[in-house]
Amino acid sequence: MILVNIFSSRRTFIFTSFKENMIGIRRFIQPLLGFHTSAVQCAEPMKKKKKMDPSIIRHREQRKMKRIERSIRKLERVERPLKPLDETQIPLSLKYEIPIRQRQLQPISQDIELSQRELLVAWSHHKQKEAERDLACIRKLLDAQGKALKELKLESEELYIEATQLDLSLLPYKAVGPTRTPQIKGYDPPDGDYIDVSRKWE
Amino acid sequence: MALPRTCINLSRLTSTSDKICMRLSSFASTQTAKEKWDLLSAVCLERKPVIARNLLPIEKEVLSMAQKMEYRLSLKSDHEIQLEKDRQRQERIKQGDADDSDMDQASLNSAQDFEDASVEELSKFPFADRITEADKEKDQKSLDRMLDRHLLLVVRQKLGTSSVWILPQGQRQEGETMRQAAERVLAESFDGKVQSRFLGNAPCGFYKYKYPKHIREQDGNSIGAKVFFFKAHVTSDSPLKKGSCIEDFAWLGRDELDSYLPEKYRKSVTEFLIDED
Repeated sequence: MILVNIFSSRRTFIFTSFKENMIGIRRFIQPLLGFHTSAVQCAEPMKKKKKMDPSIIRHREQRKMKRIERSIRKLERVERPLKPLDETQIPLSLKYEIPIRQRQLQPISQDIELSQRELLVAWSHHKQKEAERDLACIRKLLDAQGKALKELKLESEELYIEATQLDLSLLPYKAVGPTRTPQIKGYDPPDGDYIDVSRKWE
Repeated sequence: MALPRTCINLSRLTSTSDKICMRLSSFASTQTAKEKWDLLSAVCLERKPVIARNLLPIEKEVLSMAQKMEYRLSLKSDHEIQLEKDRQRQERIKQGDADDSDMDQASLNSAQDFEDASVEELSKFPFADRITEADKEKDQKSLDRMLDRHLLLVVRQKLGTSSVWILPQGQRQEGETMRQAAERVLAESFDGKVQSRFLGNAPCGFYKYKYPKHIREQDGNSIGAKVFFFKAHVTSDSPLKKGSCIEDFAWLGRDELDSYLPEKYRKSVTEFLIDED
């Protein structure tokens, strides 16, 4: 059903087409002047809303809350998966604590600063000499090995080829560096030993 | 020896006889130049340092300076904040304007108590001594000696008529590589397996010596021996038991090599040992 709005342009259709019947049509239209129609709705009119019982509404909301709380408690009971180190963040609270945590120290005196600079110069000299000694030692070791291989080649090609083969059992090479004090013989750690149970994917 | 046929043909082609002479002489020199040397493998077995060396005076100074600078540039830790709060609370309690929360907090363990307990625990912890009993007794067969330095295995072997202190060595047998010979020498020198790790197939050093004249001049004997050294690290600290091939053994530091090894031999050996100051 098309509801015609007499204030739209469609009205002209009624008035202009049949001039001789205009009086008759005007008689038909006049009483409909109070008739208002809406625009084209390709839908149903709204259904009337029924009022719910407030106690039932309250009951339903309480049940929803309980369900949500139960699920939160379940998630909290399960161990939270650890975050990868790459994703760790500095806690934001520290940003606001910086003024509290800053030290109020006296500035360094000129004498001390001068002595520090002199010490750093002496240190750089010491480290340079150390590096030179290390490089000289490495060069000496390589020369000795080169000489030995040359002599071996003079003696026998076969043995030389055997000597220049790669020893893959050496890779990956792992060395544990020296510590400050030696291992305590027969030490029983009070907290127990660490047993690595991390999963290996190979 | 008979002239090779090719030489006779060449003589027809070329007018000079120099070419023939040159060919003959070079043929002769390669024969006599190929001297016979015995190939020996030796093992340079070392115990690497177990503890770090003591700091030099300049290192100590720089360390203390660096620690002071680090302190200046750092921010206060939670522990320090807690210490400050405790101190302020103590002040307030003394001056009498403390509230209830202050009195509650004061009864708990303070941060100072925790620090004192930690310091005491550290001072009471039984660290192992850097200078061991073997150091004090100067036991040269022990691997526990001179933990901050390298120890080199030196054995007394009979070479010919005399016994000398050298690195364990032995002649290479048929079908062995030089490294396999070195491993065999080490196994034969000691009872039981020596836990060691050989560093690669290539020798690290070389030494050659000639035999005495009366041995050299005998037919079929070599002129001397060429010793190829192979480096290895000893991986266990259980003491070694001397085998039948050697008379005695010792684990020596770099300073002690002078009095044990022969002069020229020691010079060759120090060529492939890491320098220690």
